[in-house]
Amino acid sequence: MRAEAQAVAVLTDVGGGLGEALASALARRGVLVAGIVSREEAGDGGPVLRIAAEVSDPTDVARAFDDIRTRLGTPTILVNTAEVYPHRDILDETPASFMATVATNLGGAFNCCHAVLPAMIEAGRGRIINVVTFADIAPAALASGYSVSKGALRILTRSLVADLGDRFPGIVINDWIPGTHAPRRNIPDGVEPRVAAEWGATLALMDAPMLNGLVFLRDSEYRQHLSFRRRLKDHVLGKSRAPVRLDDVR
Amino acid sequence: MSRPATSLAADPSPLALAARQHWDVIVIGTGMGGGMAGRRLAEHGLAVLFVEKGPLGYRSEVQRISEEPVDYGARQLLGFWPAPVEARMASGQTLRFFAPLGSGVGGSSVFYAAALEQPERHDLECVDGFPHPTGGWPVSYEAFLPYFRQAADALSVRGDADPLSDTGGPDLPAPPLTEAESKLFSDLRKGGLHPYRAHEAMRRLPGCEDCLGRKCPRPCKMDARSAGVEPALQTGNATLVANCSAEELIETAGRISQVRVRVDGNDYSLSATTVVLAAGALHSPRLLLGSCGVHPAGCANSSGWVGRGLMFHLTELIALWPRRGSPSVGATRCLSLRDFYTYRGNRLGLVQSMGVKADAGVIASHLKGMIDQSVLRRIPGIGKVATVCALVSAKLFGNATVLVGIMEDLPYFENRVMPHPEDPDSPLVEYRFSDELKRRRKVFRRLAHRKLGRFRTLLLSVRPTLNFGHASGTLRFGTDPSASVLDADCKAHDLANLYVTDASFLPTSMGVNPSLVIAANALRVADIIAAQRDVFLRRAI
Repeated sequence: MRAEAQAVAVLTDVGGGLGEALASALARRGVLVAGIVSREEAGDGGPVLRIAAEVSDPTDVARAFDDIRTRLGTPTILVNTAEVYPHRDILDETPASFMATVATNLGGAFNCCHAVLPAMIEAGRGRIINVVTFADIAPAALASGYSVSKGALRILTRSLVADLGDRFPGIVINDWIPGTHAPRRNIPDGVEPRVAAEWGATLALMDAPMLNGLVFLRDSEYRQHLSFRRRLKDHVLGKSRAPVRLDDVR
Repeated sequence: MSRPATSLAADPSPLALAARQHWDVIVIGTGMGGGMAGRRLAEHGLAVLFVEKGPLGYRSEVQRISEEPVDYGARQLLGFWPAPVEARMASGQTLRFFAPLGSGVGGSSVFYAAALEQPERHDLECVDGFPHPTGGWPVSYEAFLPYFRQAADALSVRGDADPLSDTGGPDLPAPPLTEAESKLFSDLRKGGLHPYRAHEAMRRLPGCEDCLGRKCPRPCKMDARSAGVEPALQTGNATLVANCSAEELIETAGRISQVRVRVDGNDYSLSATTVVLAAGALHSPRLLLGSCGVHPAGCANSSGWVGRGLMFHLTELIALWPRRGSPSVGATRCLSLRDFYTYRGNRLGLVQSMGVKADAGVIASHLKGMIDQSVLRRIPGIGKVATVCALVSAKLFGNATVLVGIMEDLPYFENRVMPHPEDPDSPLVEYRFSDELKRRRKVFRRLAHRKLGRFRTLLLSVRPTLNFGHASGTLRFGTDPSASVLDADCKAHDLANLYVTDASFLPTSMGVNPSLVIAANALRVADIIAAQRDVFLRRAI
């Protein structure tokens, strides 16, 4: 963020794991951090302002952001970390239970974007990161609501860039797949939330317009595989560049 | 289609409020013509209503003008003119494309490169040994001069005097040159040319982002938004309605009694003492030709000249490589020269640096254009050879600077614009390259090649290229009501209260970018409208 403006970050879930670690990592780097939590977790939790709200409820979200604006200042960074992952056979999903998952994972992110965007548009600057997964590419069993809603969240990122990218390139929006594998169980090779949180904090503090719309996997830019011909052409025309890495820019 | 406006009294929308009020002046369009006229009218204390087809938008936008996207709604959102243009060329070719036109507060000017160059005397009138193609404009160069100054002042124009002219330069000095730019200037001077600092409407405040070709959130680029509409609104006398499209001018007893506008599919009737039409040279005549409630041939069209006399500047791109040992200047807007403004009785035009560098991609696309014109096009894979040649030349010689020549076009009755019969929202252009234009183009190209240095230049425009962002002439002003649409005051000959202030009024297209002249004329016409109001008030007392 610009030196003159105090960075204010909002994380939509700091109830534990990655969200909590990311909140601490940002706070250590001088960012004022607010976290949205469930009713029972509200209160002052050290350096992070914990505000109780239900992200799927737009009025609740609007009230929470008003509260954050009053107490910390206008949010300059939004990280959509809130998600639910009901392990449920699709045969056991009801229309209501399925859409409840969508309302949190997709609707929650939209509600929070809706709350922060007017001020970001006014300033011509801002930072939004949606924490996503590859669940949309290969949905796991018992994960229909989760996979569908997190896949749609990736589309929301691209739609935000499609509508805002040309007019407001200073509002930088990314997908980030932290690689912690939470909340799936029994999956090996998950990254420690504390490690992932450092990458996430670095990413949240990067705001070059060229990053807009890029997808980050763990600590580096993730790209679709390109054909040899395409890579050669890019190389000859001087258009190729190394993937952006999050540990280079600390 | 349109709902009747009967429920207006109960309708609380801004449009309904605007429709209940009788305005002194309705200004249709907020580009350079409408924005500057509206500002001056509001400063004279008149109640002004701006009717803008495009959106209000956000001041923090940095949108760049583009032919993409093509979707109507998406173009409207981004502030681009949403409808395509269809051009039927006399050669038989039909082009369908999006012209580089804005639609939104400030019109196209929010995207422009802010080149505000003053025309020369011979652009407007006959001078010794150099007759004017129309016999001269109905208003003299002398009468325009104070308004050129006022427009330059309102738009903070800066730059240096043209050494070939005695008219003097802008009051504000140009910003300092970089070392590479200075080298380019001294190079050209050594070649016997007379470059000067281009006249630009940029305040160049600290941290300038060089916003040419795109909107700028800063208060630094001076355009019809920052120097027209915004100051007009600050007077408290002007009101703006956006996303509001003028659909028809309704004529009663020799006056425009109502302007029918459409917002969100609803039609409203607005009324004013005076109507200023400034929708741009493609769209103002389209609106008049579509307003045929009283005259089947269209409103203000007793002369038959509405939409005719259409001109575009011809764009000649020239790549100029730095001399050996000199640094590449790359993209710069700093330079203008008038060494080829005229040549042996030929009207040519201004040459200016274009703000892009000719890198390998630009040169490759030029070579491919050349190949398409020749027998070489039959060789398979020739395009790739061109790309490789361009890459090698860029490595060897560095990047060239692109200069652009603005060649004057002259008015012809058969070159015209009208509403498209299948899509009245779109303009249909009919255009023929006249033989004299092709001849003058040859003169210009030969001259540019010779004077700029045969071995350092490449003429990039293979075919004659029209600048569809510089349409003009479609509602020409003149003294003869049978051969012009507007009188010397830019009032329609046929109507008591219809004025035009966009590029439509120009009877000839001149050898310079039209913005300064449009702004100057808009201020002039606004003064005329305000003076009439004063006469009326004195009589009333």
